[in-house]
Amino acid sequence: MSYKPIDFLDERLGTAKFTRKSLNKIFPDHWSFMLGEIAMYSFFILLGTGVFLTLFFVPSSAPTVYHGSYAPLDGHVMSQAYASTLNLSFNVRAGLVMRQMHHWAANVFVAAIVVHLLRVFFTGAFRKPREINWLVGSLLLMLAILEGFLGYSLPDDLISGTGIRIAYSITLSVPVVGSYLASFLFGGQFPGDKIIPRFYTIHILLIPAIMAGLLGAHLAIMWHQKHTQYKGRGRTEKNVVGIAFWPAYAMQAGGFFFLTASVIAALGGLVQINPIWMYGPYIPYKVSYAVQPDWYMGWLDGALRLFPSWEIVGFGHMIPTIFFPAVLLPGITFGLLMAWPWIERRFTKDSQSHNLLENPRDNPWRTSIGVGVMAFYMVLFFASSTDVLANTFNLTLNFVLWAFRILVFVIPPIAAFVAYQLAKEARSVPLAGTPRKAMVIFRSPGGEYTTEESEPRSELVLKHSVFHGEEPLPLPEEARIHGQEVQTPVLEEERFVFSAPSAVAVVSEEIGERPSGGSGVYRIPRGAPGAGGGLFSPRGPRPASDGEDSEDEE
Amino acid sequence: MKFGKKLGGRVLFPVALGVAASVTGMALFSQGAAAATTPGSSNSSSTNSVTYGGTSGAGKAPITYLKLDPSTIALGKTLFVENCSSCHGDTAAGTSRAPNLQGLGAATIDFWISTGRMPLADPTVQATEKPSRFTRAQELAIDAYVSSLAPGGPAIPQVNLGAASLSAGQGLFSTNCAACHTITGVGDALAGGVYAPSLYPATTTQIAEAVRTGPGNMPRFGTGNLSTQQVADIVKYVKYLQHPNNAGGIGLGHVGPVTEGFVGILIGLGSLMIAGYWIGGRAR
Repeated sequence: MSYKPIDFLDERLGTAKFTRKSLNKIFPDHWSFMLGEIAMYSFFILLGTGVFLTLFFVPSSAPTVYHGSYAPLDGHVMSQAYASTLNLSFNVRAGLVMRQMHHWAANVFVAAIVVHLLRVFFTGAFRKPREINWLVGSLLLMLAILEGFLGYSLPDDLISGTGIRIAYSITLSVPVVGSYLASFLFGGQFPGDKIIPRFYTIHILLIPAIMAGLLGAHLAIMWHQKHTQYKGRGRTEKNVVGIAFWPAYAMQAGGFFFLTASVIAALGGLVQINPIWMYGPYIPYKVSYAVQPDWYMGWLDGALRLFPSWEIVGFGHMIPTIFFPAVLLPGITFGLLMAWPWIERRFTKDSQSHNLLENPRDNPWRTSIGVGVMAFYMVLFFASSTDVLANTFNLTLNFVLWAFRILVFVIPPIAAFVAYQLAKEARSVPLAGTPRKAMVIFRSPGGEYTTEESEPRSELVLKHSVFHGEEPLPLPEEARIHGQEVQTPVLEEERFVFSAPSAVAVVSEEIGERPSGGSGVYRIPRGAPGAGGGLFSPRGPRPASDGEDSEDEE
Repeated sequence: MKFGKKLGGRVLFPVALGVAASVTGMALFSQGAAAATTPGSSNSSSTNSVTYGGTSGAGKAPITYLKLDPSTIALGKTLFVENCSSCHGDTAAGTSRAPNLQGLGAATIDFWISTGRMPLADPTVQATEKPSRFTRAQELAIDAYVSSLAPGGPAIPQVNLGAASLSAGQGLFSTNCAACHTITGVGDALAGGVYAPSLYPATTTQIAEAVRTGPGNMPRFGTGNLSTQQVADIVKYVKYLQHPNNAGGIGLGHVGPVTEGFVGILIGLGSLMIAGYWIGGRAR
């Protein structure tokens, strides 16, 4: 294999140093850190399937007479948007599965963003120095919800058309500027023939571009600031303990991408979503009962349903009822969300930087506030299906509505109180959060069994494979690269006893003192032993510094 | 090689499994897509020629009316007195508990008893659909008895689906019916404890009877609103909705994004979180 192209780039751009540094980047390994990855991979799938859909979708409200293969709509006048969606679903090879994957991926995308946000909130990962990434992430959530609504609206079917009508009314309800805003957005009165092409441009061009940029910034800031980690042995505010980007983390992340893709592909192929052919084209005088938005708009729909029909008059002008649940509520919601790091700091007076995460039980106040707020939005979310619940459980619609109007005030304080008590209780448990010791069973050659309580697993992992120290690792000697004797037999044994501490090196990286990068970065000169595979040579656990290494060689 | 062995144990396995699962998923969905896009598949062919109930022949009248046999009136009277008279009175003239049935026509009587809504268990709540208490012959005998008491009202319709248009039915259904029964016909709760029932168990005769007689809170659609042909078209579309083109996989009850959201969150995100928990580290 020739390295000439790599050398060419390296000698001109100095890429090797950067690449080596990047490949050695340490990521803390915890399953809860992978929630954001689900969102990112869903975003990639959305881009891919979305590009496919644009090849066949016609973003036009111009009427056309349908004579396609879906017989129940034969001869109907409909918009070209709806007709092309029917065509895409029934006559384009793999069109329906692409559309369903796109829709399922959107549902999973927003859901993954929300659980990622909850993880960041409840572990305090938004604290200094990561407030900027909190803002970027909040913006991404807002844009994802908006983007989902626009995409849901594009097929111009009876259900989504009703959603656009609601959006028009909400826009109108804004005091002073509402009628102008609605007129600008829709190019006149609802429905008009402008809104589908405009939504299309915003949906496929404007918002995805902004989201891609914000996602890049989100990752770059995380890369630069380094990922937070949970408390544990050997983990401090000044280091990162985890696995190297290459090969361990890259393989893990790549595998997770394929798993995400496979779940979304399976849903798209096996479970029907949004069968628009059953809804028929949108015609303003027609309406179907039981219209819900996609789940991530559910809390807004629920708020619209629950809010009493008050008509508040101020300065001689009436503020329409829907302004409060549909404009004010999301405004307050996202405003408080983005301001939260500063709100919390006002109370904690904590201006320190934090790289170690808190367990939710460590901070009962934040946990209880978060649970209470979450409960509030959960109630609103369920309130968006009042009619379905009433019908399913044979209750009257009015009873369900009033039950939710009461529950929306009753459940959040109860949930917050219970969360506070549980967090306090969990904190008082002795040794809470410390790893349990494993019981090691030995068999002597004579067949006798003895047991021995081990050191905690995490300690063993650290002892054998963590590099502490500020200096870059010394260049490994030949014997250490190729010789089996320095590969610690102790670890081999542990694999059986402890079911593999980790297949990959756990190394730490310093934070803070150095302006960028970190220690533990070294480059093997060309020609030196161990340089055979270049950047992509497999590396096992790195030999630790001398002091700790001696223990392994016993 | 040591590295390979260790890597294979923890890291490469998820990758391999992910790739395998993707390929399996693709294989599965490509089948679904083929079913959805091939015009000759079972789904599409059933939508192209709906012949429920074995009726045949366009050109015949879209709806014919059943002539009831006068010789069954005596049996019908017996059954009526046994099952209905405690509320409606011996001659169906109504009491303080229940309305007068005379002159309503055979279609009204037939709808209420053939859908099992009558006899009624609890007159304070909306009558629910349940299995009929009578055989079809007994139902027709009761219809014959009640309609013999006074003239008037529509007769029992028999719909000839071969003479009806599916696509015209879609347009009429979405205009006249979807506002309560929903566009998929699944039904939904309305205000004040009233609900629009699901249309999925209804027979062709029952659908036409309901349109023409307006049971309960449902509006009555007379010949001035909907022609006989239009009623037959609606019936054909409702029968289609009972077995619609379910391309794209498992239908989720046709109630819209509510079930879709639950599947997306619980199955979609849920399985991915489990996968992440499996791949990712757990020890602190």
